[in-house]
This record gives sequence, C-alpha cells and structure tokens, in this order.
Amino acid sequence: MKILVAVKRVVDYNVKVRAKADGTGVETANVKMSMNPFDEIAVEEAVRMQEAGKAQEIVAISLGVAACQDTIRTALAMGADRGILVETDAELQPLAVAKLLKAVVEKENPDLVILGKQAIDDDANQTGQMLAALLGWPQGTFASKVELGDGTVNVTREIDGGLETVALKLPALVTTDLRLNEPRFVKLPNIMKAKKKPLEVLKPADLGVDVAPRLVTLKVQEPPKRQAGIKVGSVAELVDKLRNEAHVI
Amino acid sequence: MTAYFAPIRDMQFVINELADLSEVAALPAFAEQEVGPELVEAVLEEAAKLATEVLAPLNKPGDVQGARIGPDGVVPAAGFGEAYRSFIDGGWNGIGSPVEHGGQGLPELFNTATQEMWNSANMSFALCPMLNAGAIEAISRAGSAEQRALYLPNMVSGEWTGTMNLTEPQAGSDLSAVRTRAVPHGDHYRIFGQKIFITWGEHDMTGNTIHLVLARTPDAPEGVKGISLFLVPKFLVNPDGSLGVRNDVHAVSIEHKLGIHASPTCVMAFGDKDGAVGYLVGEENKGLAYMFIMMNEARFKVGLQGLAIAERAYQAAREYAKDRVQGRPTGAKSGDRVAIIHHPDVRRMLMTMKAQNEAMRALAYVVAMHMDLARHHPDPAIRQTHQARVDLLIPVVKGWCTETGIEIASLGLQVHGGMGYVEESGACQHLRDARITTIYEGTTGIQAADLAGRKLNMDQGAAMRALIAEIEATAETLDPIPGDDMAVIRDGLRDGVRALSKATEWMLAGGDPGEAMAVSVDYLMLTGTVCGGWQMARAARAAQNKLMTGEDSVFHEAKLVTTRFYVEHLLPKADALLRSIRNGGISIMALTEEQF
Amino acid sequence: MSILVIAEHDNAALKAATLNTVTAAAQLGEDIAILVAGHNCGAVAEAAAQVAGVRKVLVADAPHYAHQLAENTAPLVVGLAGGYTHILAPATAAGKNLLPRVAALLDVAQITDVIQIDGADTFVRPIYAGNVLATVQSKDAVKAMTVRGTAFPAAAASGGSASIEAVAPAADAGVSSFVGQQLTQSDRPELTAARIIVSGGRGMGNGDNFKLLEDVADKLGAAVGASRAAVDAGFVPNDYQVGQTGKVVAPELYVAVGISGAIQHLAGMKDSKVIVAINKDEEAPIFQVADYGLVADLFAAVPELSKELDTLKAAG
Repeated sequence: MKILVAVKRVVDYNVKVRAKADGTGVETANVKMSMNPFDEIAVEEAVRMQEAGKAQEIVAISLGVAACQDTIRTALAMGADRGILVETDAELQPLAVAKLLKAVVEKENPDLVILGKQAIDDDANQTGQMLAALLGWPQGTFASKVELGDGTVNVTREIDGGLETVALKLPALVTTDLRLNEPRFVKLPNIMKAKKKPLEVLKPADLGVDVAPRLVTLKVQEPPKRQAGIKVGSVAELVDKLRNEAHVI
Repeated sequence: MTAYFAPIRDMQFVINELADLSEVAALPAFAEQEVGPELVEAVLEEAAKLATEVLAPLNKPGDVQGARIGPDGVVPAAGFGEAYRSFIDGGWNGIGSPVEHGGQGLPELFNTATQEMWNSANMSFALCPMLNAGAIEAISRAGSAEQRALYLPNMVSGEWTGTMNLTEPQAGSDLSAVRTRAVPHGDHYRIFGQKIFITWGEHDMTGNTIHLVLARTPDAPEGVKGISLFLVPKFLVNPDGSLGVRNDVHAVSIEHKLGIHASPTCVMAFGDKDGAVGYLVGEENKGLAYMFIMMNEARFKVGLQGLAIAERAYQAAREYAKDRVQGRPTGAKSGDRVAIIHHPDVRRMLMTMKAQNEAMRALAYVVAMHMDLARHHPDPAIRQTHQARVDLLIPVVKGWCTETGIEIASLGLQVHGGMGYVEESGACQHLRDARITTIYEGTTGIQAADLAGRKLNMDQGAAMRALIAEIEATAETLDPIPGDDMAVIRDGLRDGVRALSKATEWMLAGGDPGEAMAVSVDYLMLTGTVCGGWQMARAARAAQNKLMTGEDSVFHEAKLVTTRFYVEHLLPKADALLRSIRNGGISIMALTEEQF
Repeated sequence: MSILVIAEHDNAALKAATLNTVTAAAQLGEDIAILVAGHNCGAVAEAAAQVAGVRKVLVADAPHYAHQLAENTAPLVVGLAGGYTHILAPATAAGKNLLPRVAALLDVAQITDVIQIDGADTFVRPIYAGNVLATVQSKDAVKAMTVRGTAFPAAAASGGSASIEAVAPAADAGVSSFVGQQLTQSDRPELTAARIIVSGGRGMGNGDNFKLLEDVADKLGAAVGASRAAVDAGFVPNDYQVGQTGKVVAPELYVAVGISGAIQHLAGMKDSKVIVAINKDEEAPIFQVADYGLVADLFAAVPELSKELDTLKAAG
C-alpha cells in the first residue's frame, strides 16, 4: 500500500502574526515557518502505518515556494520515503491545491491520501474534502482514529458532540484531527538520512492545472482591540449583555 | 514560568556569519555529513522542539520536587526518566561523537548550540549528558581499545551515563590531596574511598553508570603526580557487553543545595564491602592529565551554562516587561498606563541582558569553531594555532560567561520587581541555578589563575598577543564602513583592545606573581568583556553587509543597535578593569589575617 | 439573490446552528430555502418550515442520507445548486465536512467561518486562529460558505410558514458507510477545551461554595476553574488552576467570580474573548480586563445568575 501525505509550510504556531500596516496580508517576512501541525499528525499516522507493516511507501508532497523543500525534508526525517514539491510563487487557494494534488494522485496512484484537516494560516479546512470530491473518493475528515482493513479503512471522526465512525472503500482520503496521534520528535540521525532521500520538483504547468485564485483578499486587519470594559448594575443586565451584545450565551 | 524558545535566529547568525561555518564545513572530517546552513537549520529546529516541549516544561517541577534518595538509590524528579529516553532516542546524546562509536560526528559548533538549548531548557537535566560527554572524551582519548569498544557505544548512545569523580572532602580545588585508594587485584584494582559533589552520580534513568574516578595506587608518589584514573562501572560489564554484578559503589546521600535541585549531587562511597572493581585508564599516575581532558570539555560547557541561563532569564524578563502594565510613560501625567518595557530603566536592563547574551553566544560559538579546526584541520600547524586559541579562551568562556550569567539572571529577577522575588515567577530559579556555574569545574578564581598564570605564561603571552592583534585588525576593517553606528563601534573596540593590551603587558611584566594573581579575575573579566565587544563588532559588520542587501532588516538593525549599546554601555568596563589591574594587589593583600 | 441553507439536524430535531445560518442568509436576500437531507426526517422539515424568514424547505429523504455522509449529500446539493447564488452551511463539523466537497464539484471556492457579510460577494472571516480578520471577495457564480454561529444571532424558530417540497434523492455513491457513533456524556468539558469557563477565587470562601459555580457552569455547559489562591487554600484540586503556572485558557466566555486578578491569574486567561468579573471589591484589578464587571456579593449574585439562566432556558 502506498500513502501520499500532503504537508504545508505555514507560519510557526508560536508566532503571533500581525496584519501588515497596509492591510494586504500578514507579516511573513523573516517569520519562523514550520510544518502545519495537522500535517505533522498526518505524516505521523502514515509512518505508524508503515512501521506496522501496513504501508510500503510514503510520499510527502508540498506545494508552494522553493522553501517548502524544508517542510518536505522534515516529513522525510519523520519517515516519509520520498518527496515531491510542486513549486510555484503564486498564491495557492484550496481549490487550486486540490486540483494540483489530484494531478499528482493520478500519477502516483496511492491507496490512501492523508492531510491535515486545516492549515493554521488560512484555517480553511477545505483541501482534503475538495481533493476527495475531485477524485470521487470517500473522505474521512477530522479523524481521531484510522484503522486499515482489507480494501477498506474505518475512520473515527470528531463531530460536534462526540465521535462517529465511518467505513470507507479504498482508495480513500483522511484528514487528521488533533487527537489522532502525537507526532514524534525527529531523530537526529534521521535528519541526516533525510538529506539523502529523493525529492522531485514539479511545476503547476507540468501538471496542466490552472491555479488562478477564485477569492480576492480585499483587506486583512487585526480584530478590534478589547473595548474598555463596562460595569453592569445587575445580574439581569449582565445576562442580557452576554446574550444580546456579546452573543456568548 | 514562561516557555523557552530557542533563539534559533541568533544561533544561525552566529554559526553562519561569525563562527565561519563554511570553513568548518570544508573540513574533510565533515564531508560525509554535508554540513551547511540547511543542516544547521534542520538540526536547530528539531533540537528546539525537544528543548521547548520536553525539557523546558520539567524545569520548574524538577526544581520544586528535586531528586531524592531512597533505599534503592537516587530517584530523579518526575518525568526526567521519560525525558531522558526521548533525548537519547532522538540521537542527541551522540551529536558530536565519532560515527565509529555510534555518534553523528557533527561539528562541535552543532553540539555547542544544542548544549545551549538543553541548558536553557533545563540545566539540571542537561548536566547528566554533559558529564557523560566528558567521560566519553576521556575514555576516547586515554582508554584502551578494549575499553573503548566495551564502554563507548553505550555511553555515546546514552544508554549508559558517565560521571566524573574528583572531589573529596579534603580535596576540592586542590586535587593533590586526593586520598581514594586503588589496590591492584589481578587484572583490575579495588577502589576504596569517598567522593563528594558527584553530579548525577546515581540514578535509575539508564541501565548502567560509568564512573571515572581519581585514586592513588599504593606506591604512588605524593601530590598530583601520584594520581591515576580508574573506570568504575556501577554494574560490571561482561566481555560480551552484557551487564554483570552490581559493583561496590553507592550513592550514600545527596546534597541539599541552592539550585539545580533536579540534578542529584551525590556522595559516592567506593568499597564499603570488599572494594569497587576499577580498571586503570591509560597509565598509572597520569590521572590528572586525563582528568583535564574531561575538565576542559566540562569547563567550556559550564561557560555555555552561564549563557544558557542568561538567555532563559532574558526571555522571561522580556515577556514579563511586555506584559506587565504599570505606570505611565516618562513625563506623561495622564493617559493610558503602559507595559513596563516602555520605562527607560527597564529598557537598560533588557538591553544589558540582550547584548551580553549575544556577545557571550558569539564568543562561545567561535571558540567551538576553533575546537573543530584544532581537532580536524589537515594541517598540523593550523591545528596547533587553533588549539592555542582554544586553550587561551576556555577559562575566559568559563569564567566570564558564568559570572555574567549570574548578573543577567539577577537582572532578570529585577525586571520582575517584587514578583521576581516570589518563586512562582520562575525568575528566582534561574538565579539559584546560575549560582553554581562560577563554582563547579573550577571556580572563577581557578579560571583566572589558569588564564593569568598558566595560559599567559606558558608561551610568554604569544597566544594572547595574537588574539589582541586580531581584534585590532577587526577594528581596522570597520573603518571604511559608513555610518554613525560603525564609527562608534570602531572607536569603542579600539579603546577596549588597548585596555586589554596594556593589561596583558602589565600581567606579563613579571612583578610579584601573588600580585598578578590578586587581580587575575579582573584580567579574566577584562578579556571576556573585550572579546565580547570584538565578536559584537564582527556581528555588526556582518549585519551591516546584510542590511545593504536588504535582508531581514528587523534582525540586522537590532544587531547593529545592540552592538552599539554593548560598546557604549558595557565595553567601557574594560577601562575600569584596567585601572584596577594596574593598581595591583597591594591593598588586596595588605591586611593581616587578624584584621579581617 | 437566492440562498440555499443546509440544515444541521439528527433526523429528529433541527440543530440551533441552522438558525444562526438563516440569519446570515437573510442578510444576503429574502429568497431562502433550507435543505433537509436525511432519513425519516419529516419532523425536521416541519421545524425548518417554522423558522422565520424561510420561504421553502426542500426535503431529500432516503436511507443513504440517514447519516448525511458527504459522499452522498454532496451530489444532492450539487444537483440543486443551479438555482442558487449562495449555498450556506453552519460552520460545524457537519457543515465543514460537506461544503468543500460541494464547492469542488461546482468548481467554486469555498469560504469558511464567515463572521460578517459585507455584500453579496464580500465576506469577513478569521484567519490565523482569529488573530487576523480577512475580507474576501468571491469571483465565482455560486458562493459556498460556512457561517460561524456565534457571529450571527439565531433566527426565530417559529413564525415562519415555508412550503415543504420533496426533492428526488441522488444515487447512493456506495463508497462509504456509517458504522457507529459515541456521543459525549454531559459531563463538564475540559478546561482547555471549554467554550465557557466559570472560575472561582479566594472569595469563594471554601470548597463547598464551589457548588454555586458548578451549578451555573452546568447550565452554561461550562468548565469550572479556579485561581491559584483558591487552589492553595485547598478549595479545589490543582487541575482546576487557571494561570501562568496552571492552565492557560482562551474560551469565548470567562466568568471570574471572587477573583481579584493577580498578574499570574490574568496571564492564564487574558486571551479569553469575553471576560466577566463578579467581585465585591470594585478596585479589584480583574475589572481592568473585564468586558463586563459586576460589583456585587457573589453569594447573592451567583444564585441570581443561576435563576436568570433558568429563565433564559425556559424562554428558549
């Protein structure tokens, strides 16, 4: 069995992002970048499947600027066997990523594709579902448990109010939630080995995909700062404010 | 307690721009490793994760709980065993060890950066692999082929740890007073005696502990020339590598101390029954020389601990100063209250911490680079030049970085105000932990004596004069660079190196040796202060070049300003130290004992 | 403008999130239809028809919609999409599972977690975990978006009189099936995962008095926390502690009761979206960070709060 894992290079989760003064985006120059944490979980899950003898090969793919190679190297150091970078400086929105991934899937023919449920930069939570749709594959989103069977995979999903388990026919797609596993720390010897693993670089044009964005970002700004608080005169007023002004109860 | 985030950006800058990674990378010894900036980044980032996520969170709980001793030996603080397992499973213990013993064979430069992280995250924890590294080094250099084969692979992987057993109650800084006995017994010796202050002398995190012990054979001459080094395993190791019987060596108590509570400081009893089985390392009576192999390694790393704690203290103070709202900006009588980072004196403290840390890091990493070149350069003459620089600067890194580390940890507490004096803030722990660093592995006084006595005199000041010439040359390279900052930095560096030069000539002038010793710590601090300024000036030069290409202006502008601060507010101490040195030791030594 | 809202339901009841989504839809236009895809879901359709502002309810009732697997519901929505300019779903696990799949099949972008509607094609959504808000404009013919419920008040559940129309189910895709589900017991949520936290400080006086907070917490579906002072005093166990040395939390609502607001405590909760402070000392520093402060004796105010919540619940 072959697994394809998609990994995204994002602003590190420890970085407090700030909107650019001109509102065109967020400050990303010289900001620490890392693998999207949900994608780390995806790589970890694939590596565990391989270690359990259930998967033969893991291909890690990333899409974006040349520096995404670093993210792929991290996946290789975690245990993926080889990497593919679809290199472009263009802005990639989820639909474009899904189309590019579809093209790669059609070349690679994996049995399972695993990705993070969302990236912590755009918080879109779309790429996996879109890729599954384009491939006509079943999807196990927000997975907290993945069990491979014979030609099937059972995915336990985190839904509002609890868990749900679905059975999917392979080939299938899984998106990971936080509780699926705890990604390993990369071992130093594996960092050294990762440098020697193969990494192929493709261009969107090679895959025949139009990546033009469908959404235009008009403005990016920080949410309004906390308003100076007010004193309320009674419990009734407090409840009223919480319900009708703050909308939190 | 605030989280720890490894200062990867500055580490990369120092490694790539100041410690001349390309020269280290070009050494044939590292051809296989493909050493380069990408590898630096990958290694630092993964090490940082372990430091931040595994080691740092245990720092405070470890401080509160401490290591304990029970009937079955020493029990580390909760979580330390698991953390140690993650650490060795990650292959971090063998980062600098040779590939033939299972290490990764990476440059000392890499080892140094990761050591800084482990110590910032959790100094008590980091001591365990640190002592092991010293023992590995001693066995590698002085042990027999058989000893190397039998012990090193497990020590390099970290499956076993190593310790250094030097001190005895009557033999502290003066090792000539060592009394532990080694009695020949067939192919080995039986060791009898008691050692104190043995860091991580006992624990249950690994299957075995390999003690390196200084002891005297029955016919040994008096003093340091009669000390031999013995390898004493906690469990004897069979020729096939399997573990045999428990040796007659035990921790009998652990010290209750000011800081590093999670690092068990053991009193070790050897030979309570019929003698602990020990194996001679190298030749008889050469123990002290072998011990210095470990010692030099350890002194450098203790210097890094000074930097490491200072970095952690700085991060905590910085976050607190950005968070804590108190008072209004200077001059404002109304309006919003502001975070204390807006207040000039808080700024002064933070700038002092930041500038000192960056200077210490640059100097320590540059020394690590010299270690790599001294060990691995193909040309023996070049190796020797680099070794001379290493020998000269190890007491400086040790003495200056640890004394400064305590100052910085204290400033960190000060930034927190009253909260800093309360344990909950975490600032106290950094100060308490830092306090040991100027004491163990040779006090600051011993480092200063080593620098001003041994190192300066053994080549009549040649290595120091070469260093001074290099600093002067750096100052000249700043001349053509435009800008007000650069002019200030150049002039400040010239003044600083002039002070170092004058002080050196005074020290070498051959007056009363006691008088020179009396001001030797001043001389060490002067050397450190000027070397720090030198490295900051080099950093400013590199930053200026980067700024001209428009790269990462936030970081490089800060580097320039931080250097200017160092030159304007810290480097002038060199002049005061010079004055103190020239005043000599007369008033220091003049009182009679009774007058104290 | 014609808007299709995907109903969130469990075949028995219409989930509240749908009502918030209808409010968002109403900001786009008046021609609002709700799709109820399920099995034996007639009651849901009836409820949906009562929602104020809804013109039409479409019901697709078939066994393979029983668990609303996206593989089956997505083609259904795609089949209906032709008549709509906007397709809205609640930004819940179900909505987020389905809508991207629909969007991809329609070859349109999807817009997640919309919190503000600035026009027919312009929407505001949080990115970077809400640290930044992005205003985006869609160039697609159909705007597919999930709507964050907390940003839009609920539409009235009654007062509407929409027509109910059956739509033909699409085929069973046959690639996925439902195996089972485990719904969480109604225990209080974990502190770090809770949407609402009610915390007590030394002002609670003793551990028994925390029952007052637990009572309110249960009515709000909230977790119970405490300041270090309350933990040190032995009122509650260590794992209740919110603060720099305890748990760091950022719920939507943080209610601090009898907590003065020591720096160490503030460090652990200052990123909460809405902070309420109830304290009898009006100089307490907690009021400096509170959005809503109530200067009152907590032993009177908390039981009163509990009663008010009951009234609120009764009023629906």
